[in-house]
Amino acid sequence: MISPFTYFPGAGRGFQRLVSNCWLLCLFLLSLASVGHAEPSAANNAEVEMGRKIYMEGMRPSGESLKGMRQSSVQVEGATAACETCHRRSGMGSLEGNIVVMPITGRFLFATAENRPLALVDPREAKNVTRAHAPYNDESLGKAIREGINVSGAKMSPLMPQYALTDVEIKAVSSYLKQLSSDLSPGVGESSLRFATIVTPGVDPQKSKVMEDMMRRAFEQRNASQQTYSGRMRSPLDLLPRTLRNWELTVWVLEGAPETWAAQLAEKYRSEPVFAVISGVSTTTWAPVHNFCQQEKLPCMFPSVALPPVETGYYPLYFSRGVTLEAEVLAKHLRSEDKSVPKRLVQFYRDDEVGRGAAKALTDALKDFDIKIENRALDDKDLAHLKNTLKDISSKDAVMLWLQSADLTAVSKAAPKQVPAVAYVSGFLAAENYSFISKAWKPNVRVVYPYELGAKREKNQQMMKGWLKTWQLPLVDEAFQSEVFFNVLFLTDLSSQMLDNLFRDHLIERAEDMLSFGSNVSAYPFLGLSRGQRFASKGAYIARFGKDGKLGADSEWLVP
Amino acid sequence: MTDNDQILGLINLRKSLILSAFIIAFSLVRPVLAEESINMEHKPDAPSFTRSTATYNVPDVAVIRQDGKKLSFIKELDDGRPVVMSFVFVSCSAICPMLTHVMSKLQTKLDQEKQQAHLISISIDPESDTPAKLTEYAKKFGAEPGWDFYTGTRAVSLSLQKAFNTYRGDKMNHTAVILMRSKPGQPWLRVEGFLSADAVFQEYSALSR
Ligand code: HEC
Repeated sequence: MISPFTYFPGAGRGFQRLVSNCWLLCLFLLSLASVGHAEPSAANNAEVEMGRKIYMEGMRPSGESLKGMRQSSVQVEGATAACETCHRRSGMGSLEGNIVVMPITGRFLFATAENRPLALVDPREAKNVTRAHAPYNDESLGKAIREGINVSGAKMSPLMPQYALTDVEIKAVSSYLKQLSSDLSPGVGESSLRFATIVTPGVDPQKSKVMEDMMRRAFEQRNASQQTYSGRMRSPLDLLPRTLRNWELTVWVLEGAPETWAAQLAEKYRSEPVFAVISGVSTTTWAPVHNFCQQEKLPCMFPSVALPPVETGYYPLYFSRGVTLEAEVLAKHLRSEDKSVPKRLVQFYRDDEVGRGAAKALTDALKDFDIKIENRALDDKDLAHLKNTLKDISSKDAVMLWLQSADLTAVSKAAPKQVPAVAYVSGFLAAENYSFISKAWKPNVRVVYPYELGAKREKNQQMMKGWLKTWQLPLVDEAFQSEVFFNVLFLTDLSSQMLDNLFRDHLIERAEDMLSFGSNVSAYPFLGLSRGQRFASKGAYIARFGKDGKLGADSEWLVP
Repeated sequence: MTDNDQILGLINLRKSLILSAFIIAFSLVRPVLAEESINMEHKPDAPSFTRSTATYNVPDVAVIRQDGKKLSFIKELDDGRPVVMSFVFVSCSAICPMLTHVMSKLQTKLDQEKQQAHLISISIDPESDTPAKLTEYAKKFGAEPGWDFYTGTRAVSLSLQKAFNTYRGDKMNHTAVILMRSKPGQPWLRVEGFLSADAVFQEYSALSR
C-alpha cells in the first residue's frame, strides 16, 4: 500500500519501524534540549532596531551602507551585504550550493551544552546538522564578523564576508540575534501543531469536502506514523510523554461578502491560532485572505485559487498567477502566431471578480497589439439568454471563454451554428469539463492549459490516484485534488527538514529553497520557487483536442 | 521509476532518517561523541579552488540573450573570441553574486589589458530569469558589451548545465564554477570554488598564451 504520509513508506517493515523510532527519539532529545531554553533577555529596543537595520537592510547606524570584504576587497555592499542575504530572515541560515550558512540566532550562537538546539542545515546530507561549539559572546561574535574566525578558532568559509563593525554595532547585532526566532510561532502547542485550511463562499461543496477529507486523512496518517513504535525502543519514549506534536487541522469556512472576511478570519484566528494555512479554495477573490496572511505573518501555502492578488507578499505562496498567467500566455501566443490572427477577440466572462480580473489581464497583455477586443460580461440573466449574446459571432472572430464549467454548459446550449475562427478556453476555470464543446466547435477550440499533458501527467498523478483509492476518497477534480495532495506531502517534507525549529519565517524559507526537490506529484509540469518568488508554476500550454478526443499540446510550454 | 524511489524522492526523507539514526546512535551511547562526529563539514586547509581541463559536447540549442534575441548557443560560443562562462540565477543570493562579481572585475581587467573575450552567464532558473530581469541583473553588476546573459526554456538550460557538468539536480545545489576556453576547438579550463578576479585573470592569461 502506498502511504506517503508515514515517514518511511515503501521501505521494508523492519526499517520502517526502526526509523520511525529514531525519529521519535530524535524529537524526544530535542524536547529535552528545549527544557533549558532561556527566556530572551529584554534587550533595549533601540539597540535591537539598530541591529535589525544591519541584519536586514545592510544599513549602519550612521546611515552608511554595510560593506562586506572578501579577499581583502569590498565585495558586497548594502542589501547584498546584509546578514539576511545568507542567514535569512529567520536567522536559521540556508544552504548555498555545498556551503552551509549557519543558523545564527541567539538560541544557536549563545547556547551552552545543556540547551543547544539542533537544526538540519543540509537536508541532502544527514550528518549536516548544526555542529556543537562553545557559546559565543560579544567578543567572539565580533571576531567572527570582523575577521571570519569562528568561536572554535577556525577560519570560516570565504563566503562569509568580513565586516569592519564597531563594538556598538556588534552589540546591536548581538541584541537583534538574541530576540530573533526566539519564541516558537503561534499555532505551535506543547503537543500540537495546528494548521487551518480556508473555504470561501460559493465553492462547490463536493470540492471543499474532498479537500477536507484528503487533508484529514493525510494528517491522521502522518500522526499515526509518529505514534507507532515497537517494543525495543519503547522505554525511553515512555519516560517523556508528549514529545511529539500532533498535526491538527481546522477548517475556516468564510461566509458573506468578501469585505467581511477579514473580521471573520481575525475572529477565527484569535480563538484558534494556527501555524500556517495549508491549501484552501476559492472560486472568487482571495485578496482578503492574502492580506490577512500577510498582516499576521501567517504562511498561506498554495491555495487553489484562480485569481491571486497581483501584488505579492512574503507569506502567501501560490501555485501560479492563475487566470492572469493564462491571459499573458495567450497574449504571447497570439503575438507569436505567424498566421494571421483574427481581427476581433470577444471575451466572455462572468461578471465577477475572477471574470473581470481575467478579462482585464488579457486586455492589458494585448495592449499595442493589432486586435480589437470586445468584452461581454455575463450575469445569471445573460447566461440564461446567451443566444442573443452569441449570435453576432462569426467565423472571422476569436472568442475567449473565461468561464467556469457550469457556465460553459450554458454556452454550449446557446452556441450558434457559426463556428468562430478560434475559441480559447481557460484551463483553470474549465476544470477539465469540456463536454460543452460540440463536434462542430471542437477543431477550433484551444485550451490555455496551465497543467502538464499526456503521459507525463498520467505518471505524476498515479501516486495520488493510488492513495485516493486506498482511502476510498473520490476523484472529483484531478488538478485541484493534486494541489491538495502536493500540499500535504510538501508540508510533511518541510516539517521533517525543520526539526523543532518551528518558526514561520523558516517555513517560508524552506519552501523557497526546497520546492523543486523530490518527484512531481502535482498536475503542473514543474514547481519551483526561489528567494522572493511566490508563484511556483510559471507558464502554460496552448492545447487542442486530438483525433482521440484527448487534449494535446499545440504549442511549447509558454512562459510570458 | 519504482514506487519506492518515487516516494523516497518525493518526501526526501531518507536522509533525515539517517540523520535521526545518526543522532540517536551517538547520543544514546555518549552524547559528547555525537557533537564531535557531527563537526566535520569545514576543512580550513582545503584549497579554495580546484582546476581541471575537460572537453564538453555542447548541444545545439536556441538560447535567448538579455536583449530578447533568440540565438544558436553554439554560434554564440564559437564566434572566435575566447570565452569565460558561468552559470547563475538572479534570485540566488550568495554564490551567484560572488561569481558575478568576479566576472565583473575580470571584465574590467580584460578591458584594461585590451583583451577581447566573450563573457557568458547562463541562467539556471530560466523561467524566472526573463531577458528583462537579466538586463537588470547585468546592469547591477556593471556588465559592459562583451558580457552576455542567456536564458531559454527549462529544457535548454538543463541541457547546457548537463553538457558542462554543472547540473546538480536543483538550482539550490549549484557550485561556483567558471569555465574558460581560448578558442573554439580547444579544451575548457574549469575552475571551481572560491576565486578572486586576479586568480581567474591569471588562469585566463595562462590559457591564451
Ligand atoms: C554571503 C553570505 C553571508 C553573509 C552576507 C553573512 N554571512 Fe555569516 N556566515 C556565512 C557562512 C557561509 C557561514 C559559515 C561559515 C563557516 O562555518 O565556515 C557564516 C557564519 C557566520 C557566523 C558563525 C556561526 C557559527 O556557528 O560559528 C556568524 C556569527 C555569522 N556568520 C554572522 C553574520 C553576520 C552578523 C552577518 C551580517 C553582518 C553575516 N554573518 C553575513 C555567510 C554569510
